[in-house]
Amino acid sequence: MEAGLKPKGRERLTLWLMLTPTLIGLTFGVLGSILATLVLSFTKWDLLTPPQWTGLSNYVALFTDQKFSRALLNTFKFSALYVPSVIVVSLLVAILLNRKIRGLGAFRTIYFLPAVTSAVAAALVWNMIFAKDTGILNAIIGVFGGSRLCWICSDHILTSVLIVNVWGAIGEGMIIFLAGLTAIPREYYEAAAIDGANEVRKFFRITLPLITPSIFFMTIIATINAFQAYDYIYMLTRRGQGDSSFPVIVYSIYRNAWNFFNYGGASAQAIELAILVIALMGLYFWLERRYVFYE
Amino acid sequence: MNRKPMTLQRQKLLLDIVTYSVLVLGAILMLGPFLWMVSTSFKLPADQFGHSLIPPTPTLQNFQALFAVDIGYPNLFFNSTYISLLITAGQILTCAMAAFCFAVVHFRGRDLLFTLLLVTLMIPAQVTLIPNFIIFKWLHLIGTAVPLWLPAFWGGAFGTFLLRQYFLTVPRELVDASRIDGASLFQIFWKVYLPLAKPALAALAIFTFQGAWNDLLHPLIYLPGVPNTTLTVGLAFFQQQLILGGKYTVLMAGALTSILPLLLVFLVAQKQFIEGIALTGVKR
Amino acid sequence: MKKMLFPVLLIAALLLSGCGGQTPPEAVPSEGGQPAAEAVELKFMLWGAPEELAVWNAIVDEFQAQNPGIKVNVEVSDWTAYWEKLKTMLAAGTPPDLFAMDAPYYLDYQTRGVLKNLQPYVDANPDMLQGVYPQTLEAYKTAGGYFGLPRDFQTIVLFYNKDMFDKAGVAYPTADWTYDDLRQASKDLTMDTNGDGVADQYGFTADLWDMELAWSSAIWAHGGDILSADHTQTLIGEPAARQAWQVFHDMMFQDKSMPDVNTAASYGLDLFQAGIAAMTPIGHWAVPGYNAANFQWDVAPMPKGPAGSATSVNSAGFVVAEASEHPEEAFEFIKFVLSQSGQTRLTELGFAIPVLKSVAESPVFLEQQGTTINQQAFLDSLAFAHMKPVFKGYDEWSAAVGDGMIPIWTGEAELNATLDEIVKAADEVLSKNK
Repeated sequence: MEAGLKPKGRERLTLWLMLTPTLIGLTFGVLGSILATLVLSFTKWDLLTPPQWTGLSNYVALFTDQKFSRALLNTFKFSALYVPSVIVVSLLVAILLNRKIRGLGAFRTIYFLPAVTSAVAAALVWNMIFAKDTGILNAIIGVFGGSRLCWICSDHILTSVLIVNVWGAIGEGMIIFLAGLTAIPREYYEAAAIDGANEVRKFFRITLPLITPSIFFMTIIATINAFQAYDYIYMLTRRGQGDSSFPVIVYSIYRNAWNFFNYGGASAQAIELAILVIALMGLYFWLERRYVFYE
Repeated sequence: MNRKPMTLQRQKLLLDIVTYSVLVLGAILMLGPFLWMVSTSFKLPADQFGHSLIPPTPTLQNFQALFAVDIGYPNLFFNSTYISLLITAGQILTCAMAAFCFAVVHFRGRDLLFTLLLVTLMIPAQVTLIPNFIIFKWLHLIGTAVPLWLPAFWGGAFGTFLLRQYFLTVPRELVDASRIDGASLFQIFWKVYLPLAKPALAALAIFTFQGAWNDLLHPLIYLPGVPNTTLTVGLAFFQQQLILGGKYTVLMAGALTSILPLLLVFLVAQKQFIEGIALTGVKR
Repeated sequence: MKKMLFPVLLIAALLLSGCGGQTPPEAVPSEGGQPAAEAVELKFMLWGAPEELAVWNAIVDEFQAQNPGIKVNVEVSDWTAYWEKLKTMLAAGTPPDLFAMDAPYYLDYQTRGVLKNLQPYVDANPDMLQGVYPQTLEAYKTAGGYFGLPRDFQTIVLFYNKDMFDKAGVAYPTADWTYDDLRQASKDLTMDTNGDGVADQYGFTADLWDMELAWSSAIWAHGGDILSADHTQTLIGEPAARQAWQVFHDMMFQDKSMPDVNTAASYGLDLFQAGIAAMTPIGHWAVPGYNAANFQWDVAPMPKGPAGSATSVNSAGFVVAEASEHPEEAFEFIKFVLSQSGQTRLTELGFAIPVLKSVAESPVFLEQQGTTINQQAFLDSLAFAHMKPVFKGYDEWSAAVGDGMIPIWTGEAELNATLDEIVKAADEVLSKNK
């Protein structure tokens, strides 16, 4: 990773030509997303009249905004459970589906199905599954003699939201890990087999270290997804016409920007969200240097 | 027979049993909600809250309702297809080039650029929508499909990062060997890295196509509306049924209708994974 | 093979996009009334269901036939998408010429100067508002005149499941029902049909988040009000209003004849339509959906309180963007929608009630699509309907009240003390939005 390929002579030009699209994208991306959001976060803007500069007041308001703190707490709770769950489950699925077995294509398709399904439709179905008297989940619990739970009430809402989000994300995780797994050279396993290593040892000695780049990627992407999770959560937890029983940060951002004519405040919340995620990324990259194995 | 292969065979059998049990159980959990969707889409609205998985009176009326309202399906389907294909092509090309530079080539400012790229992922689309819209308004591109696919040719953090991780696992000896053979930077990218990265490229193609196909927000904002928009926007229309005293059956039929093209892409692309398995090791 | 993948993709996409350019870009087929070369093009945006697109296109065709110089491009989106798109376009300074408005949001836009004052045009057409229900015009009046006009309206009535009433031997609701009658009937209709000790059929259910469906009507019927006339004070904590809140609180936690929010949400669906609740107050927009239900149902006026009958009336209408270059033409279209033929077309959809009296009181509405429900009840309710309040900051205020009340309706918070806090928070929103 340190050394890298050194461009020679006219290859410098090649290098920058290859990077040109990304540089253009960065310019627009930074202009459109980062700088614009940052500038708007220091203003009071209702979308319809010109923005007014208000300095730090949007940020100050965040400290006293109980709704925002609640959303922040929910987002953290959700992310802390979601990221490891998605990684463990999809890695397991990918490893099983990387073996030569019958019905491989069918299994992969089935596990990928939730990823392509409309979030609204899927959330509605989950609502029916979680339903108290009529839901299948409680019926199954009943068969095993358990008592019916209120899956969308405050006691269990985190679990329910987690189940649905992980269900929806396994397909993506599986594909990322499958791509990573196919990159592991066969010879490593063959050599290990000759040495008499069993499957468990092969997993911990070969698969796990060599898949760390994919795990690292999934950790970052799953974290970003967790902090920006919105669709399923809103559809599952909406009560009344606009409320959510499990408000998360993006819900708060959405509401401020689009319902409350408070685009400036929404931008400040987005910046705070970004800072939190960036701080986590810093931690991840520090861990990467210690634990991620590259060729 | 000696003992060693016996134990290996036993081990394999045991592993197969575990694999199948876990996979079948998992498949049921994954498929359950989906089957419920399929079932609901064939139910009469009057039966939509019933508990039976098999529709009491199977009907096609929900699909008919979907197509009875003329929102220009052929055009919507066509728009979705070409926009998604363009986006996929753009992402694969530009992300692969950038990922190669970030993963393999050594140059000044590399880490800074890469970090900046990742940071663009951190701000949710809900707040960047309006600034981006204004940029495209300056470029006089509102009302066309250009704002939807053009950014795909500007690279992207997700794809670049995904491919960079993959490229990092390619053995360094391959690069050194190619250098000795006199290969240029671009040749190493095109002849060595790209062919090896087929599974990762396929993964990126799947994600990109799926994201483009399912995107609701951007076509909604930039395109003029039915029928000059995408299939997803057209079908999202039927979600209005939720607010208007729920015909969930039509909604489910609509959701199912839009899945088929995605599955097709998935099936085609995932062949690359199987080829990937066959190739690995042989070529290295 | 492998190297082919990318070029093939790209070429296919480019070819397709090339074809895309050649497909006719016209959104609205305008047979017959082919607009002249110098026709003015109007961009017209509204929310609605897919079915509405066809109706609006028909209205537009008819309008274009009469006004060959004007071409109207209709864009229909669903409710949520509509507001996102509209706000984005307004923010970027590229609004549609003409767009739909829900009365409660009207002042949010009007006070920010993005709407055209229509008063001069109304003055120039003195007859056009004759025969329009005056209650529906109220919301759009400002000190400076009309900045918008209604196209249809909603009154809230009590929907009831006839099969459940018959089975329980309870008499159907009448115009003379009081909130006490509602409570009693609701109790009689609540039962445990599967014998597991928990009720699974409820007498009554209502969305208590937004004011429109249940609680505003109850407060008015008890002699209270929602806001002070100058929109600076929240009155939902006044003694009369508290009586109204108490009714729902008692039904929920004493009689248990109305599910609390958790229970209601735990079913994951519309309780009335799913045949779990026997009564619910809602507007005419629910009629087409409920028509698919597998039981008999009808509607009755909302119950009476100590201060007499009361319900809520709300209207949807049209506004013209201040930035529009063609306000005259846009106004022509509004005029057409408010005409006999425009209103008749609009009524056929079945979601709303026409604002033109002569159409509402004709078979077009009363015998809509062979309906057997008491359509007249929606019109009779106008006599005692209060306008759903129209004020700046409506969404934020609703969220302060609606979200604030949730802990009461889950049974976690005490009613009166929580109300005090909510009134304070809601007043803050009002002062912020002055």
